[in-house]
Amino acid sequence: MKIILKNGRILDPSTDLDVIGNVIIEDEQIAEIGDDVEIEEDADEIIDCTGLWITPGLVDMHTHLREPGEDHKETIETGTQAAAAGGFTTIACMPNTTPPLDTPTLIDYILDKASAPGAGGVFVAPVGALTVKNLGEKVADIAALKKAGIVAVSDEGCPTQNALVMTRAMEFCQQLDLPIMAHCEEASLSEGGCMNEGPVSSLLGLKPMPRSAEEIMVMRNCLLALHTDCHVHIMRVSTWGAVEMVRQAKYLGARVTCETCPQYFALTDESMNDFDPNYKTTPPLRTPTDVDLIAQALADGTIDVIASDHSPHADYEVQVPFEEAPFGMVGLESCVGVTLTFLTHPGHLTPLETVRKLSTAPAQILRLEAGTLSPGETPVAQVTLIDPELEWTFDVNKTFSKGKNTPFHGEKLKGKAVWTLCGSEIYRDQSFDEKRSKVNL
Amino acid sequence: MSRNLLSIRHLKADDINDLLNVAGTYKKQIEAGKPIANVPKRTVGLLFFEASTRTRVSFEQAANYLGYNVSVFAAQSSSLSKGETLKDTVLTLKGERLEALVIRHKSSGSPQLAARFFGGPIVNAGDGEHEHPTQALGDALTILEKRKSIKGLKVAIVGDVLHSRVARSNAWLLSKLGAEVRFVGPKILMPASNALLPGMIYNDLLPGIQDCDVVMCLRLQKERMADGLLSSIGQYRRLYQINKETLKIAAPDCLVMHPGPINRGVEVDDWAADGPQSVIQKQIENGIFVRMAALSWVFTDKAKPKAAKPKAKGAKA
Repeated sequence: MKIILKNGRILDPSTDLDVIGNVIIEDEQIAEIGDDVEIEEDADEIIDCTGLWITPGLVDMHTHLREPGEDHKETIETGTQAAAAGGFTTIACMPNTTPPLDTPTLIDYILDKASAPGAGGVFVAPVGALTVKNLGEKVADIAALKKAGIVAVSDEGCPTQNALVMTRAMEFCQQLDLPIMAHCEEASLSEGGCMNEGPVSSLLGLKPMPRSAEEIMVMRNCLLALHTDCHVHIMRVSTWGAVEMVRQAKYLGARVTCETCPQYFALTDESMNDFDPNYKTTPPLRTPTDVDLIAQALADGTIDVIASDHSPHADYEVQVPFEEAPFGMVGLESCVGVTLTFLTHPGHLTPLETVRKLSTAPAQILRLEAGTLSPGETPVAQVTLIDPELEWTFDVNKTFSKGKNTPFHGEKLKGKAVWTLCGSEIYRDQSFDEKRSKVNL
Repeated sequence: MSRNLLSIRHLKADDINDLLNVAGTYKKQIEAGKPIANVPKRTVGLLFFEASTRTRVSFEQAANYLGYNVSVFAAQSSSLSKGETLKDTVLTLKGERLEALVIRHKSSGSPQLAARFFGGPIVNAGDGEHEHPTQALGDALTILEKRKSIKGLKVAIVGDVLHSRVARSNAWLLSKLGAEVRFVGPKILMPASNALLPGMIYNDLLPGIQDCDVVMCLRLQKERMADGLLSSIGQYRRLYQINKETLKIAAPDCLVMHPGPINRGVEVDDWAADGPQSVIQKQIENGIFVRMAALSWVFTDKAKPKAAKPKAKGAKA
């Protein structure tokens, strides 16, 4: 099987490549890439990529697949299908399931299900629980989890309050060369809260989660990273203060990386529809100043990664009063559109940097064989075609994810992943112009 | 056509005046012993997810005067306590052919959620720390019995504004009708920001109530002590109590109001609560008439004003 991607804008941040050229994929591997690759007309399929970006398969380092135990929200099958449709070829799934991913058996279960027929055909990289049962008390058997195939550990969903427990975990992970993905929230400040503290929470009479709840924990985790020399990845940075903590930690030489998510550069607490639980996230949507400075921090490199924070919930869980609703929104299938619309087209990120945040950087942080178009660097070719100019309306009723909880439903977006390849083709969007494709039988 | 009464914030001044005028008319009729005529018979549900005696009785009484049938659902004695979601409760009552729902709930925004699924009118009887529209309407009716107009009045809302739905609804209503609203109380009991709320914040009592035409006291919940927001009742009393002495700095005929239930000796003393300036008893009574107005208003909706057709003078037909 030979596929030729012809005349596209090749964006490969792993080699800083940004040229118009061709890519030849042969036997599920990238064979040749560049602006001087000659096309042979004998390929099984030739795709005219004029006007499209040819990028390494996108990598989402922060997805909730909800299995085991919460398959009413999402399954590994539907979640991986959603990933493929969103342009992702590798996703890291979070451990706050029921039970949490704290034993090798559970990691085996995830990996088995992810490679089963019917799944989306993407690579799933499990993230293990940092503590036993995600309780924040006793560090899990991280060495055994690593052997089973985890790529990081995390206290996602249950931020580790005890600094000694976190220090121990960092010492283990430093030795094991595993990153810790830290959800930063000082519970004594955020407990019972459901939105950003400010004019809007005062207006609506909703209990606030002050920004200090996030920033204090970012600062603590940065300092512990500095002193243990563990690689700590700060999840979901949402405030300018948290950005400054990370900037300072990097300056001091701590092995700290961080991510933000589309909601934190596209939405604010002011854009919340009155009491619509689709806008409820933790950390909560912040202010226009935060949004501006998050975009700036992405541009200057302080924020390394854009992660989807795909957090599906069942309708009945979301159709409740705001305070009672769970945190989070789905993101896999809107991530590229929202990112291009709010960051790339307005000029905050170049196309190459956009792809770096969505692919190469998360792959490097998790030490994955992904995020590159270089021949032989990945187990199989992983390629995404993005149409940067495609204008479309995000319709959650047409998504693959089981979760329909999103504030972006009906949002007009510009830019979409239209074709995804992970070894073989795993997704072709409805908007993909079939005239681009020439198949030789 | 029908409409909801979810918040004062979303009402226009015209709507508020309509409601107050209708309430005033009902009051005259009831006091004259005349039956309320021309109100179609309705069946309404009162859903009290949160314990309440005064507001519930007031709505029941209002519905009785209007000749409505009332079904009361209280959290302790119905499916509300069996783990059914608000959505399902509302859908059930829709199926039972109730025509309007009055909802009291501990979560801010619950009436908005109910409105999505019910289809008919919803009246907010107090949601979390958000709004309590009929309380504010009753308070406005009470003020208007003593003053010609709300416009230009200085009104101080004193106490735990942060957690108060009464404070929010009153601030919106009074400011929409042209009053100057002040939020008075310790910083820790004030909203994090008043940028989107129609009131100035005063952390000291005396400057806050100085020259005010109306002082509205808020109930100081005992839980605030447990939450560590206040060190002691005594300290609060010393700094923020409305009493004979502190009222001297307000306008001479300043009205004293309180939504109840009162913590006598804490936010108000006996003199302020029972004395000549108090209209607290009137507030309770007027609550009935504004709730009558609300329960009839939600079933009506002004026809959209037709675009005025310019009369072409002299033009041939």
